[in-house]
Amino acid sequence: MGISTSIHIGPYEIFYPLKPSVSSVQQYGQHNLPGRLFIVEGIDGSGKSTQLSLLHKWLEARGYGVVFSEWNSSPLVKDTTKLGKKKKLLTPATFSLVHATDFADRTEHSILPFLKAGAIVLCDRYIYTAFARDAARGMDGDWLRDLYGFAVKPTAAFYFRVPLETAIGRLTGARDGFKYYEAGLDLGLTLDAEDSFRLFQGRILEEYEKMIPEFGLTVIDATMPVEAQQAQVRQIVQTHLDSAKELRIHP
Amino acid sequence: MRQTYGKQLPGMRLTDLPGKLIVIEGTDGAGRSTQINLLKPWLEELGHAVLDTGMTRSRLAGEGIRRAKERNNLGRVTQSLFYATDFIDRLEKEIVPALRAGFIVLTDRYIYSLMARAIVRGMEPNWIRSIYSLALKPDAVFYLRIGIDDLLPRVVFSRGFDYWESGMDLFPGQDIYEGFCNYQAALLKEFDRLAEEYKFEIVEASADANKVCEQLKKKILGIVEPVHAETPIAKLSETLVHSLADRIMAKLTLNGNGDTTYTEKTLENAFSLVPADVPAPLAPR
Repeated sequence: MGISTSIHIGPYEIFYPLKPSVSSVQQYGQHNLPGRLFIVEGIDGSGKSTQLSLLHKWLEARGYGVVFSEWNSSPLVKDTTKLGKKKKLLTPATFSLVHATDFADRTEHSILPFLKAGAIVLCDRYIYTAFARDAARGMDGDWLRDLYGFAVKPTAAFYFRVPLETAIGRLTGARDGFKYYEAGLDLGLTLDAEDSFRLFQGRILEEYEKMIPEFGLTVIDATMPVEAQQAQVRQIVQTHLDSAKELRIHP
Repeated sequence: MRQTYGKQLPGMRLTDLPGKLIVIEGTDGAGRSTQINLLKPWLEELGHAVLDTGMTRSRLAGEGIRRAKERNNLGRVTQSLFYATDFIDRLEKEIVPALRAGFIVLTDRYIYSLMARAIVRGMEPNWIRSIYSLALKPDAVFYLRIGIDDLLPRVVFSRGFDYWESGMDLFPGQDIYEGFCNYQAALLKEFDRLAEEYKFEIVEASADANKVCEQLKKKILGIVEPVHAETPIAKLSETLVHSLADRIMAKLTLNGNGDTTYTEKTLENAFSLVPADVPAPLAPR
């Protein structure tokens, strides 16, 4: 044994690399990053991506340098994830690890460098997606929190809360069928894709609710009109920009 | 009952894993694969079913890692996690099923190499340890220890310097020889620390490969259960019985009737171990 599984590195400041044993490379943890990181979370059909894209347009229109990074989009890792999903090779543990690898690559290449440069980074889904989904698949919560210990703490994290039936209603109208892993069909809860989706996303909703106090997520009522939600989001983002004039792109 | 290093994979039973998990560790050039290539046929000769596995051999992530390493933008955290994905895939899909079937698993490197490489690249030791807390504790870890002075000629006069094994991602712009020495020295230091923490059995690897192998064989005989004709059937897994019978048949076919090692009696003994409900293949092929 002798393994400490509760590393209290939170609340998710970057902690690595602490002591490079062979080189004097820069230590990320020492940086006081000048950028801002805003992320959106919520189940499929919560409308979070719509809200993030409206925020993106608003920030750009105001002259800020904005960078967008989406869950599961690393060019280095996506072939592996695709292979795993297509051939149904993924177990709860490897599903978790392959997504963490994807997130690590984006942290190292798409998030950290831009935050250092003073940009506003917007992420559609963040570590909370992994915590919710992987816990719903049976992975240990402490293990997951350790795994993502290298993540940058967001300036603000918005959780778009929506009842399951509302989300399902939005999805069935907009796309055809539920995907294997998205519906949690790998868990063998039930054979029917929509039933499985309902059960799996229900578990995910429970996990999100637990994370609201744990990580101080900002809850947005996603049953409100799109405009009302966006107004709330912009108001909160605004409070984090007042002291960030250097983020503006000067012509 | 098997133990892990702290956490359990969802859905994994730790009981009924009668096989043996034997780890061969050591830096690049220490002779790990040479030893495994000598040990595997030897164990099979003794009647054991053997699975050999090693880094980046997973179906899920092996190819992805190879491709990522060809590019120049594989970050250090990403690298550590990519290897973890590869390891857990092999643990779940190869190692555990083999142990369940009573195989001897010979693994070329285990979590220790992965931890050492990550720590040398500046990762927080507790972070990497937490990730690998899912790993099974092996039955033995043989650490092929070799100093840089003995390692250098092996590397230089065989495959030459490798970019990643010389830590060139850590020392960009450095001479690859300097990089190799610095990186391997750091790795050796980390290995020595891990050897103490995880109680490795240290085998001096600078000696002749056959001598090293003799030492390993002696140690392994103390771990694996001997395959005797007298071994009660309850102790033999179906796989082992198959393996044993197959081997005897193969021997007979090879040597014809003149074979003196495997008498009719031996064969009868072996076959008497096979329970009635074990299906073919027992007939000569």
